[in-house]
Amino acid sequence: MSAINVRDLAPGTSIVLADGAEAEIVTNPGDGMWLFARYLSSPRDPTLVGQEEMIFAPDVVALGR
Amino acid sequence: MAMDDKRGYRSGLVDLRAGEVSREIFVNEHIYAEEQERIFARAWLHVGHESQIPKPGDYFVSSMGEESVILCRDRAGKIHVFLNSCRHRGMKVCRYDQGTTAVFTCPYHGWSYGTDGRLVGVPYFREAYHSRLDKEKWGLVEVAQMHNYKGSIWATWDPAAPGFTEYLGDFTRYLDLQLDGWDGREGQAEVLGGIQKWLVPCNWKFPAENFSGDTYHNISHRSVDLAGIGPSGAGRRDMGERDVSRKLHVCIPDRGHQTIHYVLPAGKSPPPAYLNAPIVAEYVRHCEEERRRLRGEEARLVGAPGEIFPNTALLSRQPRTMAVWHPRSPHQTECWRWFFVDRDAPTEVKHFLRDYYIRYSGPAGMTEQDDMENWNYAHAASRGTIARRYPYNYDQGSGTAVTNYEYQGLRVPGEVIDLTETQSSEQPMRNFYRRWAEFMEADDWSRLATWRGGERKAAE
Ligand code: FES
Ligand SMILES: [Fe+2]
Repeated sequence: MSAINVRDLAPGTSIVLADGAEAEIVTNPGDGMWLFARYLSSPRDPTLVGQEEMIFAPDVVALGR
Repeated sequence: MAMDDKRGYRSGLVDLRAGEVSREIFVNEHIYAEEQERIFARAWLHVGHESQIPKPGDYFVSSMGEESVILCRDRAGKIHVFLNSCRHRGMKVCRYDQGTTAVFTCPYHGWSYGTDGRLVGVPYFREAYHSRLDKEKWGLVEVAQMHNYKGSIWATWDPAAPGFTEYLGDFTRYLDLQLDGWDGREGQAEVLGGIQKWLVPCNWKFPAENFSGDTYHNISHRSVDLAGIGPSGAGRRDMGERDVSRKLHVCIPDRGHQTIHYVLPAGKSPPPAYLNAPIVAEYVRHCEEERRRLRGEEARLVGAPGEIFPNTALLSRQPRTMAVWHPRSPHQTECWRWFFVDRDAPTEVKHFLRDYYIRYSGPAGMTEQDDMENWNYAHAASRGTIARRYPYNYDQGSGTAVTNYEYQGLRVPGEVIDLTETQSSEQPMRNFYRRWAEFMEADDWSRLATWRGGERKAAE
């Protein structure tokens, strides 16, 4: 699987993370390393759902639906 | 190294009684290294202007001494000055000159800082640091003190330094001439266009002492005077107001700030200027009238080149610019020049002034080129083993300054030499190097704030 260029992703895009969680982009600072995103689901830690976190680019493994 | 520790800076390398300053202070690498610690880590330094960062998230990368700093406005609109160096391994976190951002992300391993300096993103914070890294402790390093003076941003690394206005002392009115509107309203200046930046192979003190008030070097600008680059088509600037004024050197002892300065006779308006551009001429005439109305007698003060210790130069009139002389090595200075206009001035006025200002100043400015050539070759010719044995001469006008100067009812504070007849003095340079020596000798601000004790040691 090729790496995803997070710089290209617009706010509103949903992303799948390495631990299986899904999140929606809130802000893209455009540095190619980080995204501000809100959790839609998190099998590992369900308390994260609804929270906003900074997501590191290598953790983004796929685009969501 | 020819420095003699026993004699100290003041009596040895800076000998104001004899009017001599050793070339070592310009070319010696040890002295340069000491300057970074004793001067640039303790003095108030000019960082930029708030008009460069109008919106939240805006930043401008500046310098304080040798070090890169970020001037930015955080999401809440608060202005900060940070060391531009990642806390993890020191990488420059911002490598652009200016822009707008949500975060400063370090390109090396990815630590990310908010515009308020807080460490907000740490790759593998949970996995590799087990969520135990204290993010509060590892934010960007912020200056010890910052001051917004009428839009100009100043900062110091020393928490013990006096506040900025105390640091300025009686020099405030000369910075006001730079930052207030030409019509006398407070703080109307905005930065015009980008910042001009260029390198000159000389020590930073060459431009600093020149802008302190070197009226003696006028002859080296003879070619621009002959070419007539001025805004009325003659000389390099309009001389009318200078020709009818008293011409002064004003030095603020204890502070190391000094300037050339003109005082118009009571009741006299400046003669017409900017005759090549009727719209500018009319704008200036109107502003002068307003200034007189708002400021009364104070409106008789006319600004000219000056220097705020250690490395910020003012020029509030023609052209209206500020410069910072960033030390890069004993033998190299990075010059930065900001150009100013009244923010409410008509667009045509701003355009005309921009053309005139860059024709005069900056790396392509015809007048500044003369200066750079002098500093460049003077420095190069002072570096040799033989050359550095011979001090420079700063004796001009020694012992002629007065402290109670008054001209037609207007008192001018500080040590003043009236140059109207004598043409020139080196009092500003003596004032600058006296302060330089104090900074190099004093261990802390309790010794540097000499004015607080009510008496100063006689250095001359
Ligand atoms: S140097 Fe900045 S993250 Fe390592
Ligand atoms: Fe000059």
